[in-house]
Amino acid sequence: MVIDIPFIWVAFKEIAKAIPLTLVLAIVPVVIGFFIGLVVTFIREYKVKGIYSIANGYVSFFRGTPAIMHIMLVYFGIPMLLDSIINYFNLPYETNKIPIVLFVLFALSLTAGAYLSEIIRSGISSVAKGQMEAAYSIGMSTPQAMGRILLPQALAKSIPNFTNLSVGFLHTTSIAFLVSQKELTGTANIVASSNLKFLESFIAAGLIYWGISIIMEGIYYLVEKRVQQYSKGGVA
Amino acid sequence: MGKVFDPSLIIEFIPTLVKYLGVTLEILVASIILGTIIGIAAAIPKLFHIPILKQIVTLYISFIRGTPIIIQLFLVFYGLPAVLSLINIDITRMDALIFVIITYSLSNGAIFAEIFRGAISAVEFGQTEAAYSIGMTPFQNFTRIIFPQAIRVAFPNIANTVIGSLKDTSLAFTIGVMDMMGRGETIIAATAHALEVYIALSVIYYVVVLILEKGFKVFEKYTNRYQGTDASVA
Repeated sequence: MVIDIPFIWVAFKEIAKAIPLTLVLAIVPVVIGFFIGLVVTFIREYKVKGIYSIANGYVSFFRGTPAIMHIMLVYFGIPMLLDSIINYFNLPYETNKIPIVLFVLFALSLTAGAYLSEIIRSGISSVAKGQMEAAYSIGMSTPQAMGRILLPQALAKSIPNFTNLSVGFLHTTSIAFLVSQKELTGTANIVASSNLKFLESFIAAGLIYWGISIIMEGIYYLVEKRVQQYSKGGVA
Repeated sequence: MGKVFDPSLIIEFIPTLVKYLGVTLEILVASIILGTIIGIAAAIPKLFHIPILKQIVTLYISFIRGTPIIIQLFLVFYGLPAVLSLINIDITRMDALIFVIITYSLSNGAIFAEIFRGAISAVEFGQTEAAYSIGMTPFQNFTRIIFPQAIRVAFPNIANTVIGSLKDTSLAFTIGVMDMMGRGETIIAATAHALEVYIALSVIYYVVVLILEKGFKVFEKYTNRYQGTDASVA
């Protein structure tokens, strides 16, 4: 087997068409997961009765099992659940008309929510306790103190973790090809098997992932610089 | 799909799947040990600023951190035979498990290299100076002064990497390895009870992760034993 270098470029152009879907799969779950993470964090921080242990179990389970399980459980479980509800009420819907991409987005959002809640929690615990006390002492309410004092600082400190998570999720989207999504890995697989040039296609896909990862890290670096220009602590 | 959900099948499938936990753990342990060796080798050029080697290592780490494990798996699976056939070594019939272990070792090696480098740079240089001032050799300095302090910084990250790596092994079945996932896929093909199989697999992975987390916590406490009480928060 000889490596066909010109074909890498042909594959590259073909696979690059899948970039938009990959970015949707990578970004939407992180955005939805961010809100899930915020809610879960507050439930866990304030130890809300009843749902507190559910929130703990959710984070622990989703961090303790591979993302492929979440996709598969949602992909096979949700249609079954919906079908039984539809049959029970005799509703005029069909679950097999739901696009698979929605299941992937749902599953990955749940995964992202669990990871983000841990990131936000560690960000909150890294803010000095005196900040909240100071906010209360000048008469702020809890939501005000949270929204204006605690969260901005906690989120700014979490940016390096957000970077790792976002790049990690870009890589997690590659699992979606197992449920026949035509994102980067899925397209690379199609290009590979229709031309019987596996190595070249996956080199092209690898280069695309690598490029997107570097761009993502660059964007976060700029955001981090912008956010932290007011917090000149330490020795710098 | 299409068959009625049967919870009793979950319990029935677990013993069958647990038999293949050994393969999963074999991939994990082999790739952690080899990854540690690669990680140490890759961290040295960065710590001692060796030219050329340092750039190569930086590129290697950047590539591994910039691509999904599944792409790395395919690259090794299709690339290694192609590269080795240039020097007339035929490995096309090699067990897929070996390819998986090579991939995960390379992947863990890059992550470990970054962890080791970060942990060793986190130990103040004054410690080295102090060690030299009382007449220690560089080797004594590393084994008695730097390493015990660095491992304390590195350990939580190493633990996370090991757990992440365990979860990544669930992708080995894509190149045809008969691990827990691979066995699960064959059960699905035979019985069409996909959801039950995936629930059973999730339970097994979750339990293994919980056991690992507990074990790591004990060891982390041990490495922090001289740190006073507030070190566990940091």
